[in-house]
Amino acid sequence: MTATLLNVENLSVRFPVKRRWGQSTWLYAVDDVSFEVKRGETLSIVGESGSGKTTAALGVARLVPNSAGHVVLGGEDFLKLEGEDLRRARAKIQMIFQDPYSSLNPRLRAEAIVREPMDSIGTAPVEDRPARVAELFEQVGLRPEQMKLFPHQFSGGQRQRIGIARALSTNPELIICDEAVSALDVAVQAQILNLLRRLQRDLGLTYLFISHDLGVVQHMSDHIAVMYMGKIVEYADRLSLFNDPKHPYTKALLSAVPSVDRARKVERMLIPGDPPDPLNPPKGCRFASRCPLVEDACRAAQPPLDPVGNDHRVACIKAS
Amino acid sequence: MTDPLLKIENLRIELKLRSGPIPVIDDLSLELNAGETLSFVGESGCGKSMTALAIMGLLPEKVGSIGGGRILFQGNDMARMNPAELRAIRGNEISMIFQEPMTSLNPVYTVGEQIAEVLRRHKGMGQADAWKRATELMDAVRIPNAKARVGDYPHQMSGGQRQRVMIAIALACAPKILIADEPTTALDVTVQAQIFDLLRDLGRDTGTATILITHDMGAVAEMADRMVVMYAGRKAEEGPVEPVISHPRHPYTKGLISCVPHLLAELTEERPDLTEVPGIVPSLGSFGADACLFASRCYMADAQCRNARPPEVAFGPQTSACWKADIV
Repeated sequence: MTATLLNVENLSVRFPVKRRWGQSTWLYAVDDVSFEVKRGETLSIVGESGSGKTTAALGVARLVPNSAGHVVLGGEDFLKLEGEDLRRARAKIQMIFQDPYSSLNPRLRAEAIVREPMDSIGTAPVEDRPARVAELFEQVGLRPEQMKLFPHQFSGGQRQRIGIARALSTNPELIICDEAVSALDVAVQAQILNLLRRLQRDLGLTYLFISHDLGVVQHMSDHIAVMYMGKIVEYADRLSLFNDPKHPYTKALLSAVPSVDRARKVERMLIPGDPPDPLNPPKGCRFASRCPLVEDACRAAQPPLDPVGNDHRVACIKAS
Repeated sequence: MTDPLLKIENLRIELKLRSGPIPVIDDLSLELNAGETLSFVGESGCGKSMTALAIMGLLPEKVGSIGGGRILFQGNDMARMNPAELRAIRGNEISMIFQEPMTSLNPVYTVGEQIAEVLRRHKGMGQADAWKRATELMDAVRIPNAKARVGDYPHQMSGGQRQRVMIAIALACAPKILIADEPTTALDVTVQAQIFDLLRDLGRDTGTATILITHDMGAVAEMADRMVVMYAGRKAEEGPVEPVISHPRHPYTKGLISCVPHLLAELTEERPDLTEVPGIVPSLGSFGADACLFASRCYMADAQCRNARPPEVAFGPQTSACWKADIV
C-alpha cells in the first residue's frame, strides 16, 4: 500500500460574477470535491470544458483566491499557510502549463527560466544552482548549449521540456500537469508523455494530471477522477474506470471517443444538449438534465460519491 | 466508371518568401468521388488546410498561389477560374466549415440572417422564404427550438450550437462537396460525437461528398471511407481507411497511429512507452528538395531516401510514397 501524498478535502473554488444592477453572485467552479493522490502515482482529473478540472488544480496549487476546504500535503494544510511559510511550501507543488508559448517569459534565456523557481523560493544554495540547471537540462533531454537560447528559438516540444525542467527545479513532491500536451502535435505529444513517465519512474514523481483527452489519460494514470460541473462523479483505478465505468456520464464520455481499435465496438451513448447554467445549478444530480437513466429521485437530491467496489466511487443512485 | 467529382492533378502551391517561392504543396494528386468521405491527415504544417483553401480559391492573396497543376471540379479547372466563377461555386456547390465556430460567424448578424444570406445569394430566394428555410435548416442540424433561436446572435449560443449553425450555412445549398477543416477540434468530445453523427446523417441524406481534415486517427477511422496522409506538403500515403490503419505502408502513417495512446476494447495492466517519431517537421527551406522529406525522422532511412524523392507505389487500392514501402 503506497502512502497518501496529497489529501484534498471538501475543496471548493468560487468566482464572483457580476449580475445586472450591480448585484453579484458566486459561481462554484469546484464544489465540495475530495480526493487523494498516492505518492509516486498519477491521478488524472478528466472532464469537458467548464467541468472545473483546471480550477481544481489551480485550487490545489493555491493559484486562485476564494478557495475553501483542505489541501493537506505532508501533514500541512496548504490552504492555511500565509507569507513566508506559503512561499517555502510552494516548492513542494509545481505546475506544467498547457501552452508552451505563453508560459515562458520571452525575455529570459532558457537557463534563467529553469533557475527562476530556485531563486525565488530559495531551494538549493546559490553556488549549486548552475549545476542543478545543467542537470535538469540533461534530464529533460535538452542539450547544454541550448541553455543560452531564448524561448522563441525552441520548438513547441522543446519549450514544453523547458517547462518541465522548471517544474522539477525545486524538487517538488507534486507536479500538476494542466493539459500539458494538449497544444502539441501528436508525434511531439508522444515524446513528452514518454518523458513524463520516464521522469516519474526515475525520480519517483507524483502527478496530478489534468486532461480532456481520454486516450492520454488512459496511458498516464493510476487513478482517475471524472468531473462534471464542479463535482467528481466517478473515481476509480485505471482498469475499473476504462473497463467497467459506472456513472452514465463516464459511459457517455468514453463512448464518444472515436478509436482506431475496430474491436472497440461500444454502443454510442449520445447525451443530448449542453450542461445546465453553472450559475444556476440544479438542486439534484447535475447530470440529470442529460441523463438517459434519470428518474424523479435524481432531481431531488445530490447523490453522494459512494463506494461501489475496491477503489471505485460513483455519485449516481442508479449506478448499481 | 464515372468521373470523380473532384480531381486534383499535380497541384503545386507556392508560398512567396524572401528567399524565393517555396512549394508548400508539391505535386499532389487525388480524387474525390460523389458521396464519399475522404480524410486528410497530418501534423500541423503538412499542407492539409492549404489544400482545402486552394480548392475553395481562398489562398491568402500575395502570399500563396497555385504554381502548377489542375483542380478539376466536374471537369472544370478551378485553378484557372476568375473570381466571379469561383464565387458562384463557393458556398453553393463546394462549401466549408472551419475549426473555430466563434470566429467564423459574424458576431453582428443573427444566425438566421447568416444562413439566409447564402440562400438569397445562391438560390435567389426572397427574404421571407430564405428566413423560413433558415429555420428549417436549424431544425435539421438539431438545434432545439429552432424557431426561437433563429434570431439569436452567435454569442448567445454554445460552441456546439455555433458549429451546427456553420453546418447549416454550409449545407444550405445542398453542396456537392463539403470541406470540414478540423470541425470538432475546438469542441468537447461528447459534442464532437453529436457533430459527427450529424455530419454523417446529413451527408447520407444529401449525397454530399465530404473532405474531413483532421489530425485524429480515431476520427478518421470513424468517419472516413478513404484517407490521404500528408507530410511536408506531399502525399505520403493514400487508400481506404481500413487497410491503411491496420497495415500502413508508410513509416510516417505508422508513426502517426502508434504514437497516440488509443482507447482500446479491453485495457490491460500493460503500458509500453509510446512509439516516438523523433524530431520535428522539416523547416520550409527543405521543402521541394529531391529527397524523402521524412527521412530525417525515419527509422529506416538510408542514402537513397535522402537523395531522391520516392515515387508512389501501389499496393492494391493503397499507395505509398516510400522507397521501402514493401517492407514497412
